[in-house]
Amino acid sequence: MKEKFAGWNILFLLYLKRDWKKMMIWIVGLGLFSAAYVPAFEEIAKGQGLSGMYETLQNPAMIAMVGPTPVETGAEYTLGAMYSHEMLLFCGLFAMVIAVLHVVSHTRKEENLGLTEIIRSFQIGRQANSLATMMEVVFINVLLALLISGVMISFGVDTISVEGAFLFGASIGMAGMLGAGIALVMAQIMPASSGATGSALGIIGLLYIIRAGTDISNVDLSMINPLRWTYLTYPFTENNWMPFIFALIFSLVMVVLAFALEGARDMGAGYLPEREGRERARKSLLSVRGLFIKINKGVMISWLVAFVMIGAAYGSIYGDMQTFLESNEIVQQMFANSEASIEESFTGTIMVVMIGLVSILPIVLVNKLFAEENRSHLSQLYATRVTRSQFYWTSIGLATFAGVTGILLAAGTLGGTAITAMGDQSAMGILDFLAAGFNFLPAVLFFTGLAALALGWAPKLSKAVYVYLAYSFLLNYFGGIADLPEWLLNTAIQSWIPRIPLEDFDLLIFVTITVISIAMIVIGHLGYNRRDLVEGA
Amino acid sequence: MPEIVNIQGLQKTFGKFQALRDVTFTVNAGEVVGFIGPNGAGKSTAIRILLGIIKRDAGMAEIFGKDVWKDSLEIHKRISYVPGDVTLWGNLSGGEIIDLFLKLHGRGDQQKRDYLIKRFELDPKKKAKGYSKGNRQKVGLIAALAADSDLYIFDEPTSGLDPLMEAIFQEEVEKIKEAGKSILLSSHILSEVERLADRVVIIRQGEIVETGSLDELRHLTRSTVTLATEGDVAEMAAVNGVFDFEQKDHQATFSADHKHLDDILREASKLGVKKFESVPPTLEDLFMRHYEG
Repeated sequence: MKEKFAGWNILFLLYLKRDWKKMMIWIVGLGLFSAAYVPAFEEIAKGQGLSGMYETLQNPAMIAMVGPTPVETGAEYTLGAMYSHEMLLFCGLFAMVIAVLHVVSHTRKEENLGLTEIIRSFQIGRQANSLATMMEVVFINVLLALLISGVMISFGVDTISVEGAFLFGASIGMAGMLGAGIALVMAQIMPASSGATGSALGIIGLLYIIRAGTDISNVDLSMINPLRWTYLTYPFTENNWMPFIFALIFSLVMVVLAFALEGARDMGAGYLPEREGRERARKSLLSVRGLFIKINKGVMISWLVAFVMIGAAYGSIYGDMQTFLESNEIVQQMFANSEASIEESFTGTIMVVMIGLVSILPIVLVNKLFAEENRSHLSQLYATRVTRSQFYWTSIGLATFAGVTGILLAAGTLGGTAITAMGDQSAMGILDFLAAGFNFLPAVLFFTGLAALALGWAPKLSKAVYVYLAYSFLLNYFGGIADLPEWLLNTAIQSWIPRIPLEDFDLLIFVTITVISIAMIVIGHLGYNRRDLVEGA
Repeated sequence: MPEIVNIQGLQKTFGKFQALRDVTFTVNAGEVVGFIGPNGAGKSTAIRILLGIIKRDAGMAEIFGKDVWKDSLEIHKRISYVPGDVTLWGNLSGGEIIDLFLKLHGRGDQQKRDYLIKRFELDPKKKAKGYSKGNRQKVGLIAALAADSDLYIFDEPTSGLDPLMEAIFQEEVEKIKEAGKSILLSSHILSEVERLADRVVIIRQGEIVETGSLDELRHLTRSTVTLATEGDVAEMAAVNGVFDFEQKDHQATFSADHKHLDDILREASKLGVKKFESVPPTLEDLFMRHYEG
């Protein structure tokens, strides 16, 4: 034992010292995210809100997203029941993902970086690092669980019982431990840290999709899915601790398995061989465009898939919208517009939300060029006959393509699912949804242009474009609720664009914003062509 | 002799820091120029200006008689470059990256690519994230050496390579030198520069402090002389141009200034020379003298 774990306590304390900022953000951020929405839910619950929400969440598409509830009728649906129904799965997922990233970064990644090698040359046991990391994760998740429970109890809501609050917090903490266990096992099996993170997140994603299927078809079947043990505890309704016990046992088994695997392998080795690459490049790679597509492929596909899922999620609400909206004052206010139907009103508002999300991807792609520059990945390419313009316009082209595709997918799936969910009552066709989406194309181009401008003239500010996006997103999101003055609303670019189908298409504004965006891109190009490239700064 | 690289009075400031104060040197056709100086002296800054990656504040910089900023693309058709720290995309294999670099260069030689991969013992199928520092450097070197250029710019190209691979690099550089190409070689490994370079340019704090052939530079400094005489060798200590005099019995070791070599020999012969050895300074001695003095 000593040979294996000697000095783990030193490493444990070292990690607490090294990570305390990260831990603060992790615990407080996730803790408040999980627990502090109680007042907001109280607002939703007013009037007929609870039963309205209950009906909405009976929709199979919603069950696929947030899971089921044991409550049988809308009348029995309490605030606590709704809170755990809507929040627990997602908060648990977050806890899992963060734990995966953290565990891999302290184990496999440090091994890859050669830090473990130095540590092991001291009087530190071979597996002390893994033990210290797991202890840290236990410590963090216990604090997280306590914070969540404490915050929830502090609101003093009747239907949020003390036992339920503890179970709610414990379930989220346990979700973190499940993620940590899976990550630690994958860290032993995979040959590199990126593979360990990827496969662990992949397993969680797979479990999520499987549970979506079994939740709809047969909840009992879901019981063998580790991910389900985090939210099948049903806090505030059944308060079932059994899944929690299962999860605890499963995490322990995972950790023991991981330690056995680690004990039997060499440092730096894995159980799966590193996948070999190609000896020669494919033709499709051999250009700036080919290269940029290759290095951006992962992030592009993930975001586009996310757009489809978000579109489908919002689209599935359309069926029960009438019930839901009538039951709730706040939501009514958000979509208040006497002349249009609620579906049209909702489309106009939700499209702003989706466009805000779609705008992220083009910014990511434009900023990627500076990231590559900064990491000196392009040093050797600058010395070839490839022009800076080629780098620039390839990035812009890719970003524009991603923006257009993003709108198409988001608006298309929103429309597709909405029309399916509404059935015969549908007053809107798929083209109406696409028109509503592409109406916002200038906004997406505007963000692309801002990012391009930053890339060309002040690359250090490229992250600030996200800040402006978040700002304008929030302004639009809450603009309907709080009575904000016109000039303030107009600092967000989306506010200038009329909301189809509520309002009429405005060609002048469409063209003006597009021209401004193109101008920013062209001006950015001038800057990019003449500025010093920044390497390794 | 036509000048391939021509830099006159080059200046560059980053914020308040003056990275280059006054840099002037040339690389002639078919010449290997060693560019040496300590860390932070401005070597990489000068090279980045030559590549058109950053823009100079003042002075002139030309390659093939063309302005390095305005005509960078014309120039880039005929040059190859290897940075001191080759960073690669982790999810591409070494072979893929070499192919990409060669394609973007435009004048890659497939046969030479395969030959060099074998010569440097690189596994081209391995993903770049699995490469060690030395192997990443090999990828950069192979991509540069397998391309047909007229000027090769190497910025500390062998950092991380083992001595065996370093020797192979030197052989390959000699080959391109024999083919009449020009090379600008920035390096910390002075034996490498000594072996390859026709001329040496020494930079310190953004200024060129010395330039010339190795022989010329040696001439400016002192040789180490070991002398044994029949008479009292101690008399030599007072001779003009003798420094760091140390005596052991009848044998003395001292530094001899080349300007006073004639005086030293005349005085020594008066004492009856039994043994006379003169060792020219290595590049390392030269280098140390410039940085310590």
